[in-house]
Amino acid sequence: MCREDGSSEVQLGQTHIMGFVTGQLVQPYRDRPNEGTLSIFTEFSPMADPSFETGRPSESAVELGRIVDRGLRESRAVDTESLCVLAGKLVWAIRIDLHILDNGGNLVDAANIAALASLLTFRRPECSLGGEDDLEVIVHPPEEREPLPLIIHHLPIAVTFGFFSSESLLVIDPTHHEEAVMVGKMTATLNANGDVCAIQKPGGEGVLQSVIMQCLRLASRMASDITKKIKDAVETYNTERALRKIKRHPTSITLDGSVNLKEKLNEPSGHNVVNELSRKHLEKPRLASAENASSPGNNGEGESKSSNFGRSSRRDGATSNFVGGAASWDPYSRGVDSDFLKASLASRGTLTPKKKQQDPTGERKPNESKPEESPGDVIPTTSAMDVSETGVHKGGEKTLKDAVKPKHKRKKKAFSSTADAS
Amino acid sequence: MEVDRADGRNPNQLRPLACSCSILHRAHGSASWSQGDTKVLAAVYGPKAGTKKNENPEKASIEVIWKPRTGQIGKPEKEYEIILKRTLQSICILTINPNTTTSVIIQVVHDDGALLPCAINAACAALVDAGIPMKHLAVAICCCSAESGYCILDPTKLEEQKMKGFAYLVFPNSILSVLPEGSSLVQGEPMEHGIITSVTHGAMSGNLSTLRVSVSHL
Repeated sequence: MCREDGSSEVQLGQTHIMGFVTGQLVQPYRDRPNEGTLSIFTEFSPMADPSFETGRPSESAVELGRIVDRGLRESRAVDTESLCVLAGKLVWAIRIDLHILDNGGNLVDAANIAALASLLTFRRPECSLGGEDDLEVIVHPPEEREPLPLIIHHLPIAVTFGFFSSESLLVIDPTHHEEAVMVGKMTATLNANGDVCAIQKPGGEGVLQSVIMQCLRLASRMASDITKKIKDAVETYNTERALRKIKRHPTSITLDGSVNLKEKLNEPSGHNVVNELSRKHLEKPRLASAENASSPGNNGEGESKSSNFGRSSRRDGATSNFVGGAASWDPYSRGVDSDFLKASLASRGTLTPKKKQQDPTGERKPNESKPEESPGDVIPTTSAMDVSETGVHKGGEKTLKDAVKPKHKRKKKAFSSTADAS
Repeated sequence: MEVDRADGRNPNQLRPLACSCSILHRAHGSASWSQGDTKVLAAVYGPKAGTKKNENPEKASIEVIWKPRTGQIGKPEKEYEIILKRTLQSICILTINPNTTTSVIIQVVHDDGALLPCAINAACAALVDAGIPMKHLAVAICCCSAESGYCILDPTKLEEQKMKGFAYLVFPNSILSVLPEGSSLVQGEPMEHGIITSVTHGAMSGNLSTLRVSVSHL
């Protein structure tokens, strides 16, 4: 399994979408010389549905692109001013490619999550001004200087509802069968702070105001839920990424790394991504002066300290399984339910690492098995988490007079990798 | 001669392979194939009624769509589509379902060298998953030669860039048979040595002995 900065894979029930983010230096628009640009390309691959054709994007493809684009651009989720390198001359143009692999319904929500997850894991090369007049821009390759993440202020999450001809029937996250028979749909894009970023209701059956308000309330609860899941997945990716840097120099770990990691075990876990990254940058210069090991090892150690979530046992196992590659301790390789993932992160990952260490090679084969499968030991925690999930929905069902059917099988895989020493 | 490959492999050693089938729900057949870090996803829909204008309606036709990781479809992608189509046409039994089209869609997930062989293998696995009738399986490998004349198999992207020339070779798979008749002989040579497709880039001096070794590794 390969993972990379700026790529993500989302599975929402049967819907499967991949997102890739790339960046390029271009000239800015005339009327916005200080801002970078963000563009979204949606590929309705014929792989996803027999009715999708190559060539000109269909109406629904264009609509999907517009909804995701509006959620990101107009809510200013991505800070475009930080993408400016040289005002008026060079800015970063960020391009998001969303590939729809499997259409199981509700492509908008899944595409939105894929775009957000890949933006959060994307790293752009650091540039500095140099040359004679300080007008030349030097782009530093990732081996020289650590690439930087994008500045993302908040995560706008799209939640889609489907309406049916019978007034009391409302569905959240419709599957493709439901989409075929529903008479109206509405997509609400909100963030975890409770701000409504966008609402799209393209025609269809008229709906009462009270129903719209109830949908928005439900959506707001879903949004905070999904935001947490995305953030957890990105955290895991960042930890893995840091560990991969350590893997390059396994000897340095046994000397210093493991000792340092165990000391930091009791750190509070409530970091968000921005804090984590700023600490990484702080710790780097400190380590650089102290150690005389080679630089990638340093960066790795600095990052590992700050991004520690009690995974020291995993790391020791991981280094010995280096030949098996990153897949040997992939938490998502069996389509793990993200509820389990939350539980595993909360309980300091005791379940998952032991399992992975015991069976590093065997995992290669059942890789990417069907999402419905889950290993035996996942079930106890999953059921515990399921209770809390249904608790949320029961609350939803009580407040709504209508029959709300949450279709909630969300599993997420965040991909990440680094170019190996090979 | 001893060759130092960056990831510690022998010159004849392949990267770890992984394949999963039936990963997509809507597609009739799907497979994901990864060789080391190179990963390709293939989906098959078919057979669908009707053939395109230029195709022979007395045979089944195969349509290949190649989706790159990012960016628009350009000339290299079109070339891959053509090579893949011709390879698949030679392994599928085209006389069984005349006047139908089978679509094969390839999505590149990650490219770390030997992309086209990986895609051919993925497409073959997806066709098997979809139940399309085939004569035999296609096994693809990339081998490249360096300036100094040594030959290595299954290069990574970094290794590919350093090489003087490389060739993609596709062979039929060897037949494992319980019956004493075993593998069929074609003109005195075992069938699995026949090359279905070969694509070469750059300049290569003959290295047939290494090719023979590579065949035995498949």
